[in-house]
Amino acid sequence: MNIPWSHLWEKFKLQVFEQGGYHTILDGLKNTLIIAIGGFIIGIILGAVLAILQLLPNNKVTKVLRGFAKGYVGVFRGTPIVVQLLLGWYVLKPILGIRSASALLWGMVIFGMNSGAYVSEIIRGGILSVDKGQMEAGRSLGLSYMKTMFKIVLPQAFKNSLPSLGNELIAIVKETSVAGFISVVDLQVAFKQQDTAYNPIICYLMLALVYIVLVLLFTALIKLIERRMRASDNR
Amino acid sequence: MITVNNVYKSFGKHEVLRGVSCEIQKGEIVAIIGPSGSGKSTLLRCMNLLEEPTHGEIWFEQTLLTPVDAYLHPELLRLTNTYAKLTAQGASDEEALNDITQNRLLKKREGKAFQQAVKEMHSAHFQNVNLTRQNIGMVFQHFNLFNNLTVLQNLTLAPVQLKLKTKEEATEKAMELLRRIGLEEKANVYPSTLSGGQKQRIAIIRALAMEPDVMLFDEPTSALDPEMVGEVLSLMTDLAKEGMTMVVVTHEMGFAKEVASRVLFIDEGKIQEENPPKEFFANPQNERLKEFLSKVL
Repeated sequence: MNIPWSHLWEKFKLQVFEQGGYHTILDGLKNTLIIAIGGFIIGIILGAVLAILQLLPNNKVTKVLRGFAKGYVGVFRGTPIVVQLLLGWYVLKPILGIRSASALLWGMVIFGMNSGAYVSEIIRGGILSVDKGQMEAGRSLGLSYMKTMFKIVLPQAFKNSLPSLGNELIAIVKETSVAGFISVVDLQVAFKQQDTAYNPIICYLMLALVYIVLVLLFTALIKLIERRMRASDNR
Repeated sequence: MITVNNVYKSFGKHEVLRGVSCEIQKGEIVAIIGPSGSGKSTLLRCMNLLEEPTHGEIWFEQTLLTPVDAYLHPELLRLTNTYAKLTAQGASDEEALNDITQNRLLKKREGKAFQQAVKEMHSAHFQNVNLTRQNIGMVFQHFNLFNNLTVLQNLTLAPVQLKLKTKEEATEKAMELLRRIGLEEKANVYPSTLSGGQKQRIAIIRALAMEPDVMLFDEPTSALDPEMVGEVLSLMTDLAKEGMTMVVVTHEMGFAKEVASRVLFIDEGKIQEENPPKEFFANPQNERLKEFLSKVL
């Protein structure tokens, strides 16, 4: 196949830069970042809570909480994110009677809930990787389970799970490309809209390029944070 | 100070402690020795409830640390309550006891109040354990310094978090303790930069920073290089001389001989022999102890 590259590129440039397509793209970028970062933050908070619930010491109340956490993780890991988005938008939202929430906010929350399931497993692994003696030392000084967990164990667990958390952040950045299913104009939708003159090749190549740059930026950011948090390991 | 009353502890089917009773008096230095797997560490960890005994009671001064046996004690509690109520209403002893055993209706009516009382006892128990642990320092075999905190933060975390001291007071106390062991310049480094001996001495003063009434040592020198054992033992000896009550699980027979005021020999989950060190080492009675001493001395 003979592709008229320069011709297609000119058309793309015309569409994006001279006919104002870049407004849509910048909007899409903004929405993608909001969903990814907001969702990731929700995911970390939710994941930490779910992880702690699963690791609470045995008694009757915690048995129920642990069951809930396990069920949650099972459901959200067991269904595709697209299905979760659709169920959330077309079923859960009307049932709950929420009208004002925008698709963007709704998408962020659902991505956060989805991510929470994965992050909980990451953090659970991180907590388990912290030596049991750390908890025992905290308890032996009279600190409560929760206090020791938040002051001693969780910070170390976070540090240990940073590489996996970075992975999750990158995954969520890319997963947001299905947010279009609930009418969010994210990067993917924004670029698709530039395909006005049967010009898919350049559009999607550029879309891929933007994602790669985004991911590289996030990777660098994670590396930076990781190096910061390794301070206590320096010998 | 600490009373261990007929304590049993099993891990699954494996029975580690089989009815241990002992009492730690104020100012005593008790060394616990015994072959590995004999339950000496488990006994020590039961004393501050890091391990919860399967049966039996642990008392710290006037506080019961082990949970009230929910199947046994509620009945007793209920009967006592009923009895008190009846006698308060003017019944004689005999009438009251009669009533308790015969009046079923009363039993039912009191069911709720009684469950409430048990619940309260249980929540009091959780409080007690955390509060009591503030008075029981513990030093571990593997130091267990908080890796994510600097040395100074390790020393001040608990006193500040538990609101026993302000940050300034805690820091001052921590620096004083660091000066005492000559590690002032390590205040702001992370534990990973320290040697084993330094870590263990800091673990000891971390416990001291809480100003405990008694200190438990779980094989404090077993994970150290031989050349670092001395510095830790000498700090422990200093503590003993200052009158700190100490319970030490150890393989250092020298320490047990010279510093301890009493030595316990544990084997197969029971205290087999218990004597002041002179007699303990010079004139062992128990066959197993004789065998053990002939191997380690």
